Amino acid sequence: GRQLQHDHDHERRRRRRRREGQGQGQGHRARGSAVSFTEGEKVLAYHGPLLYEAKVQKTENREDEWRYFVHYLGWNKNWDEWVASDRLLKLTEENVRKQLELKNQSGDKTVRTGGRSAQHNPKGSNVDAKADKEDTKGLVKGKKRKNQLGVEEKERRSSESLLMSQFPVTLKKQLVDDWEFVTQLGKLVKLPRSPTVDGILTKYLEYRVKKDNKISDSCAEVTKGLRCYFDKALPAMLLYKKEQKQYKEEIKGDVSPSTVYGAEHLLRLFVKLPELLSSVNMEEDALNKLQQKLLDILKFLQKNQAHFFLSAYDGDSKGADGAKGK
Amino acid sequence: AVRAVAGAGAAFISVLPSKEEQSQVELELRLLQALEFYPPSKLKGIHRHFILYGLMEYLRKSLDRQFSADEVLQLLDRFFNLEMLKPDDDEKDNFGQTEEFALPDNFFKKED
Repeated sequence: GRQLQHDHDHERRRRRRRREGQGQGQGHRARGSAVSFTEGEKVLAYHGPLLYEAKVQKTENREDEWRYFVHYLGWNKNWDEWVASDRLLKLTEENVRKQLELKNQSGDKTVRTGGRSAQHNPKGSNVDAKADKEDTKGLVKGKKRKNQLGVEEKERRSSESLLMSQFPVTLKKQLVDDWEFVTQLGKLVKLPRSPTVDGILTKYLEYRVKKDNKISDSCAEVTKGLRCYFDKALPAMLLYKKEQKQYKEEIKGDVSPSTVYGAEHLLRLFVKLPELLSSVNMEEDALNKLQQKLLDILKFLQKNQAHFFLSAYDGDSKGADGAKGK
Repeated sequence: AVRAVAGAGAAFISVLPSKEEQSQVELELRLLQALEFYPPSKLKGIHRHFILYGLMEYLRKSLDRQFSADEVLQLLDRFFNLEMLKPDDDEKDNFGQTEEFALPDNFFKKED
């Protein structure tokens, strides 16, 4: 935390120095080593001591200084921010090597085992880098609120939600592995899946009927609702960019995603539920009851984790994206 | 229905609805109250199952008995022509633009 605060102060001082040295020449190239980046360009961006793959969303020239609005790939939009060119590097092999170097340097200090599987070593530094990001989030929170109300609101709802606070830990890990497979290792879930989302929800109802010795209408309505959400939400908000191509190839015409995709993507829907349900404006009591039901479904998924989820993704997203992993 | 209630030494007539009528009125009242939270217009959009769930829960809580989805729909049918309902525009807000999936940061934090 403290290291990052130092970096931020350092940066602010650096920027002030730059502004003071203004008027030396026209255009951004006049600033000595300042490099330019274009909208849509993939870059490496410093956040604290490490480099992250990012994408330039917008560019702006203010007082003869170029600034870039970047989105960190694989990270929540809440982290998007304006940076000066001194925070960015071109996405070249040389710079990617530098990224790895930095990661390894900090890696020794921050790799902790205890409880987590030691399978994916890069994850060690990632986890802590993300923890660092958590610190800076606190620092810059005030600033972010000004510009990103919509996203902030979504974040708030998600963080306050009962569902999210009691999300089973093994399923959280499942989602992190899922993220790693797709976004870092360029893998894809092989489609069609079995069981499908449709199959899983049906199995859940059967399980409930057996347990309660009756058919619960409210349970049935909830699973119908989830199926409905899934079919609409999958292409709109449940896919990583690298999965778009596969989606277009697998889902043609009238095919419902809930009959093709499986547990991996169903789990992602649960992450989006607080946001989706906010449109329903449910009464507090009913919402609590609903969240209990949703948690019950998650526990059902957890119980059947070995059956429902893939432990490894075989598919390959080569060609979907230029830069692939590290 | 009118019932005559005889009290000690005096007879007076009061107009009281029958139990059935009373419960029917209360049911309709509760339903209309529920619609404040769960507008019928949302019964055609993607959220319809959760809207229905909300209605079922509201009625269950206020009238202390279970309601099936069909029962609630039948009740609503008395007041609204459900066929004619147009889906709400809020579908556009949720699904208009494609947005890449992203995990909340706290998923990556090390659990104790």
